[in-house]
Amino acid sequence: MFKLDRKLMISASVFTAAALLVVGCAGSGTGVSKSCSTSGQASIDGGVFYPAVNGKTGPYLLDSKASGMKINNGRIPTANELKAWDTDVMADGTGLPEGSGSASDGSDVYDAKCLSCHGDFGSGGAGYPSLAKGNAYTLKATLLSQRSVEGADGPVRVFGSYWPYVSTLWWYIKDGMPHPMTGSLSDDETYALTAYILQLNEIKIDGVLVDSEYVLDREKLLKVVMPNVDGFEPKIAGPNSLPGIRAYYANPSNYGAQKVKSSERCMTNCQTSTAKTVYIQNGGIKDFIPPMATARDLPKVESKEFDPKKAYEENCAACHATKSMGAPMFGDAKAWTSVKAKGMDTVYKNGINGINGMPAKGGSTLSDAEFKSVVDYIVNASK
Amino acid sequence: MNSKDSLSNEKKLDRRDFFRKTAVLSATALAGTSIFAADDPAIIGKPEWSQKWGDPVTTNLYGLPSVYEHNVTRRSTELLSSGNFRASIAVTPIHESKGIITPNGLFFSRSHGGVAQIDPNEYRLMINGLVEKPIVLTLAELKRYPSVTRIHFIECPANGGQEWRAPQFNSVQFAKGFMASAEWTGVYLKTILEDLGVKPEAQWMLSEGGDSSKMGRSVPMDKVLDDAMIVWGQNGEALRPEQGYPVRLLLPGWEGNLCVKWLRRLEFAAEPWFCKEETAKYTALKPTGKAVQHFYANEVNSTVVSPSPEIPWTDLKDGAVVEIEGLAWSGMGTITGVDFSLDGGRNYVKAELKGLVLPKSWTRWSYMHTYKKGEKLLLTSRATDDAGFIQPTVDQETSVMGVESVYHRNAVETWEVTENGEVNHVQIRS
Repeated sequence: MFKLDRKLMISASVFTAAALLVVGCAGSGTGVSKSCSTSGQASIDGGVFYPAVNGKTGPYLLDSKASGMKINNGRIPTANELKAWDTDVMADGTGLPEGSGSASDGSDVYDAKCLSCHGDFGSGGAGYPSLAKGNAYTLKATLLSQRSVEGADGPVRVFGSYWPYVSTLWWYIKDGMPHPMTGSLSDDETYALTAYILQLNEIKIDGVLVDSEYVLDREKLLKVVMPNVDGFEPKIAGPNSLPGIRAYYANPSNYGAQKVKSSERCMTNCQTSTAKTVYIQNGGIKDFIPPMATARDLPKVESKEFDPKKAYEENCAACHATKSMGAPMFGDAKAWTSVKAKGMDTVYKNGINGINGMPAKGGSTLSDAEFKSVVDYIVNASK
Repeated sequence: MNSKDSLSNEKKLDRRDFFRKTAVLSATALAGTSIFAADDPAIIGKPEWSQKWGDPVTTNLYGLPSVYEHNVTRRSTELLSSGNFRASIAVTPIHESKGIITPNGLFFSRSHGGVAQIDPNEYRLMINGLVEKPIVLTLAELKRYPSVTRIHFIECPANGGQEWRAPQFNSVQFAKGFMASAEWTGVYLKTILEDLGVKPEAQWMLSEGGDSSKMGRSVPMDKVLDDAMIVWGQNGEALRPEQGYPVRLLLPGWEGNLCVKWLRRLEFAAEPWFCKEETAKYTALKPTGKAVQHFYANEVNSTVVSPSPEIPWTDLKDGAVVEIEGLAWSGMGTITGVDFSLDGGRNYVKAELKGLVLPKSWTRWSYMHTYKKGEKLLLTSRATDDAGFIQPTVDQETSVMGVESVYHRNAVETWEVTENGEVNHVQIRS
């Protein structure tokens, strides 16, 4: 609320025109009109708009007395409550706090809190997204690549090559990362991590390449122009965005949809002579969990005995079997000897609570006792 | 011709005629089968359940499915999973679905930071930004608004999205089960905004989750003031945690991820937010290099559900009359019809719609077929909606969207029936 008022005072005149376009829905002064109607019959999404008429909307009956009521429900949030939850960051910097951090500081935070999932230098791993794949300006060209031909490389949609705004990255790191303790980074750490990820993507700010010494702050962040900022349609920002979106979805050819009059749809001989049946290659994907079955039988009784080896493979191997993750390698006697030197109680405790890049219990849902038996299994197998 | 047909033509049939005629017909019908071969122990024997006490009514005070139904579950796969199945999806067994309502335990589950378990006593909904009166509501206060109940499907826009280049899943659960349907209860967002008053400059609403991923999406005011709902009820009970307990947003017909779960905040502004999940993901890259962003409604779609790879025809007898059944749905309106093809979409006939036909809802359709042992078929369905849309062919859709767009694939699906009665997922392409 408080953030937007300021912006509105600056450019109120711009928004007044836009507001008129939704006046059928929003009403003026008194809040919301009873029957919200957009321009004409179509919805913003290109679909049908079902108005509320004669006490019904579509097939559903309405209690007409249930709308337009001043219910006087709830209470006004306090300033501190707004501060705690109203943390969104918009592309123009609305909501972005002051602060700063260098890419090299970001690299340290990254190694401690992000690497275990996102891999060395943001390369990704164990099913987690890559954060960089090289020079973002070069990679943007891959957005034209289509894997319609077998063996062709597809488009690279990482932060640098694809995302339109860096504000999104800052906000998401601050509120949605790092697992398993999101919302735990300071503003400065978030600036530092953002700088590091900009560096990995070889982004330039005002012509200056972000290197490890680069210190990112609010002012510099707002100068970032991402390579793919104009890569999206329809345009959603600006005073005429909603009419633009309505127009976009009113035209099915923009998004691969087909419209046809019922009487004109093809019923006979609807295919070209080149139409052929394409089959699933190499058996397709079938590692379903649980495996596909339709039998009406009694479930097999699973062995209740806990299998530490299986638990290791499911929960730990992603990092402890991969050198690049920085975790002590499974089977590396030297590495585990130095871990054991802390005393097994400490090893258990560190594992249960998380240490360095390792999340609590490796992000697993194992009980403490189960987790300890997995630690024993790893340690015994790494002598 | 069967006995029922012959009887319907005999209006003056007396009782004795009836028995005589049906006896003759039955003998004829049975002659070709081995039904006299052996007595069925399921009939002759006395199973335990037919003689011993059943469970007391105090067993399972919250009821559970029969233990024999244990294979009817959501399923996931590594391909669709990250974060040890926290940023992942488990999909609905639509081959086992009946009618147009999905049981809550089978409703597909998609989360971006795991399934949050929220204490309803600590639940708060904050509404701020360009409203006359910002507000904080407890769950009890939220539920005090006048409620509405609606049947709508929710579909992940990646439903079918793994198959732009070719079919990959020999399973209708995985090919089309990124969706489910329920009867939702909540309050129209416009009812709350009538209470608070929304400022005329407001064009957008941020919906934000309280889970660890802080899932966020920008919603245009058109939808907010049309049929958007804040829901707490699902099929007559509270939302399941997998559906955002205690409260989620419901934007009927729109992408599932827009229906933010574990909803904790709505903010109104003049501009959209460019949230992570509306820029990095849920954007459909076209061959032009431009990506469709804010791709709202799931377009008209349909699929054959039975037969399917999960429910083949391997046990069908020659001449069996079998119902081919499917689902049709559109996030843009109401299903107006389904055309059905036995030759992969070269020639179509009209299928029959069944049961309730509601806006932005699953709609059942069927086609009665006389099965000829050994016949090879390509089953294709094609739905239309009252917005005027029809499902595109695979070629039509890829000619505009290419093969890299991931989301909103609604081209017709085809299921091959082999001469053994097995069913495979295929596509028809030029």
